[in-house]
Amino acid sequence: MGNDVTTTAIDRGLDADLAADLAAASFTLAKRFAAGATMWSIAPGWEPHALHIAVEFIHPVIVGKRALPAVAITGPDVVDVVRVSVRPGDIVVAVSGADEPEVRSVMHRSRAWGVTTVWIGSGERPKAGMAEHVLWLDDPDPRVPATGGFVLFYHLLWELTHVCFEHPGLLKEPDVCTDDVCMTCSDEGRLGEVLTATADGMASVRTANGVETVATALVEPVAAGELVLVHAGTAISRVGEEEMR
Amino acid sequence: MTDEPTNFLYPFIDAQEHDPKSLLADLAASAQAKAAESLGLRRSTLEANTELIGSAAAEMARRFSTGGRLFTFGNGGSCTDCTTLARLFAQPPIGKPLPAWSLTADQAIMTALGNDVGFELVFARQLIARGKAGDIAIAMSTSGSSPNLMSALKEARHRGMFTVGFAGYDGGAFAKSPDVDACFVVRSQSVHRIQESQALLGHQLWLAVHEQMATQPVEAV
Repeated sequence: MGNDVTTTAIDRGLDADLAADLAAASFTLAKRFAAGATMWSIAPGWEPHALHIAVEFIHPVIVGKRALPAVAITGPDVVDVVRVSVRPGDIVVAVSGADEPEVRSVMHRSRAWGVTTVWIGSGERPKAGMAEHVLWLDDPDPRVPATGGFVLFYHLLWELTHVCFEHPGLLKEPDVCTDDVCMTCSDEGRLGEVLTATADGMASVRTANGVETVATALVEPVAAGELVLVHAGTAISRVGEEEMR
Repeated sequence: MTDEPTNFLYPFIDAQEHDPKSLLADLAASAQAKAAESLGLRRSTLEANTELIGSAAAEMARRFSTGGRLFTFGNGGSCTDCTTLARLFAQPPIGKPLPAWSLTADQAIMTALGNDVGFELVFARQLIARGKAGDIAIAMSTSGSSPNLMSALKEARHRGMFTVGFAGYDGGAFAKSPDVDACFVVRSQSVHRIQESQALLGHQLWLAVHEQMATQPVEAV
């Protein structure tokens, strides 16, 4: 049993890229909170990290800082609990390795739910674009989650988010694209999660804009939980895990 | 506004700014400064506690080898960190699992005790039921003075358990208490930086326990 992980934990500084990622993630969190978001934290396998994140934001250690709505989701069926909990504009912060199946599933569905995602972890990185903000330690040692490195990450997220609240002018613009005629969205199609398939070639689909009924002739049969691309009232294709970015 | 001496911290502290570039640069610089402070504190904390880690780990290893078990407890963020530590002992990614539990894990017990006998006894009461001579108690705290941790450490000591305290600042009541056999103090005024160093201290203690168990002669159980 070596001490390499300790050397990594102590001597690995915060390089410029990671500092910029933390800054950008914190700015996003502040904008979301300012717009009324709730932050949901998940950490399958390392649940105490999810709990620490929630208590950090909801009960600040520095007197006078505002309590922010943050909730840890622990226990089984994480995907189902996140699905029923989140609203468009909310934040999901995950702590896990890149191959954690429930976190991967949450990340894949996040755009259908309209939530902003932050992924904290170590080892092999998630594929580019899996989460909006990725805060990562590249050390593959499986003991890294117990060395305090992740604690530093979410402490900094909290500290920097509160610095952003000193700049209300910069927090006004919501990042969420809620415009029905947004060219970026309509060109590409919007991600939707099938809620219920109906027998008449239609299905009820959840997108970042809410629940809508779309035609499914091009993708039938579809089942609840499947992801589809929605364009002009029609599900134009299925989206499997491999096709997601 | 532009003449304020603290403007370098918040260069655009008004509601009219629109360009986030300057804020993002400040945030990144702040993140690097805080991370550097955290890493410096972790390094100095480990250096200052090398001997104590060795002696505490030797005692813990001796107890684990003879059937001892570990109970961890703390409040708030320290509750989650002590749960991570218990998990590291009981379900290590590498190495042999050792019996360890966080006393904060069961909401029914926590709320029953908090409601019926008071929050000060939520951990002590569990140790009365579960703790035995030969076991180990680890209390994690930043203040080092939380009443429910103090009462639990006293109960643990009374029962012949080996007691370990993690504290910040100047060590608080833990550092002065005869109920704490080994007291690790992270000398900082920041709760965040203290917790980051305590996590690494806990990890080092766990590593050292395993190193001790690998070299100690196994005693008859």
